Amino acid sequence: MERMYKRWRVVVIMSAILFVVMADHLRSPTFAFNMGQGTQTTLMQRDLGACAPCGAPCPSERK
Amino acid sequence: MTVSNAQATVEAAGKFPKVDRFIITLSLLGMALLASLIWLETAPFLVGLFFVGALLGIALYHGAFGFTAGWRNWVVTGNGTGMRAQLFLLGLACLLIVPVVSGGIEGTAGTIAPVGVSLIVGSFLFGFGMQLGGGCGSGTLFTVGAGNLRMTLTLIFFIIGSVVGTVHLPFWLDAPGTDPIQLTSSLGPWGAIALQWVALAGLWWLVGRREKRMTGKTSHGLLDRDRSVSVFRTLLTGRWPFLWAAVVLAVGNLLTVILSGTPWGVTFAFALWGAKIAQFIGIDMTQVEFWTWDYGALALRDSLLVNVPSVMNFGVLLGAMLAAGLANKYNAGSKNPLVLRSVLAAVIGGSLMGYGARLGFGCNIGAMFSGIASASVHGWIWFASAFVGSLLGIKARPYFGLGN
Repeated sequence: MERMYKRWRVVVIMSAILFVVMADHLRSPTFAFNMGQGTQTTLMQRDLGACAPCGAPCPSERK
Repeated sequence: MTVSNAQATVEAAGKFPKVDRFIITLSLLGMALLASLIWLETAPFLVGLFFVGALLGIALYHGAFGFTAGWRNWVVTGNGTGMRAQLFLLGLACLLIVPVVSGGIEGTAGTIAPVGVSLIVGSFLFGFGMQLGGGCGSGTLFTVGAGNLRMTLTLIFFIIGSVVGTVHLPFWLDAPGTDPIQLTSSLGPWGAIALQWVALAGLWWLVGRREKRMTGKTSHGLLDRDRSVSVFRTLLTGRWPFLWAAVVLAVGNLLTVILSGTPWGVTFAFALWGAKIAQFIGIDMTQVEFWTWDYGALALRDSLLVNVPSVMNFGVLLGAMLAAGLANKYNAGSKNPLVLRSVLAAVIGGSLMGYGARLGFGCNIGAMFSGIASASVHGWIWFASAFVGSLLGIKARPYFGLGN
């Protein structure tokens, strides 16, 4: 099959995504914690007591 | 010699077909980089989840496992192969996951969600949107990983719709609704599995009956594959039979439960990515009620590398990219030029899916697949309501120049 993309574009897009992920990480409490400057990291974020995967409360609690 | 003749000769000679070495190298490099970063900065279970995501991405691509096309094919042509593959997937996942989240492994919990107006409206909008957008949550993700330009547009508007959905969800939650209903609490795990299997068997029969009425026969294509190609080669370069993909997806979801404590979800990450971008451009999302709930608040504040759905989505993207490279079809979905009506469909479909996924507590994966695999009633209601929305979406497709 003939190639239908430009290699440099794929490299640029992947590099940009990696850059954004890194930038987000470097500003995070987890990175600060790893550098010995923070007090917390949130490796387990999911709230198992919530009523939905997004962490929404139960309708009965809202009432 | 024509290209197809050359390919046939290569196949006949037993040589390995051409693969896209550049894409394979780049995807493996991306995986190695990201996995190393996650390993160094977070915890080993997140590396495991990243690779589970990659495996799921490979299965979705090689199996061409799309919920959207499966529903549409059955509705339009009567072909029920895709529907049957999904019903098999739900049955197997339910058998594997219900016992685990019902006390089989301590610290795990099923996917549950409230049942009410928000769920019905959200899943209906999602079902309508997925027919216009061209894929559901996982479908959008794996096709973007495989380099599809139009689906990238769908994903961008999926993210925008998700952010709007997070702003509106508290309003919809105040509409009538009840707390989550888990079948296991009244029937026990095996009773819940039995009841769901009866329901799935009923749907299986319904799919077959309609197929026979429309086509005069019942297709049994779950194990169909190109028999002129070896099993090993099919495994590497596709296309997989639906059954292989369904088994990998069900086992992948089980591994997700074991590693993360809860089943697989895709779309929360889209909302999170959008909210982080909104924060970056100066919109204070921390004032939005959705992002004050414990999970959302923690996720918004911390790194994407410690957010399970995000880490798994990165895996799915790179896994699908690798699979597309192995199939030598990277970017093949973009060969047709984008026309305005198709772009408009991607914009509307993506936005409705994003908004609907927040109101409906997930997509075909997070709400339907993981919900039913956890014996939660909301998964079934999501399925029914999204299917109705999908019927309207199928009717709307021709207006956007999309074939059925």
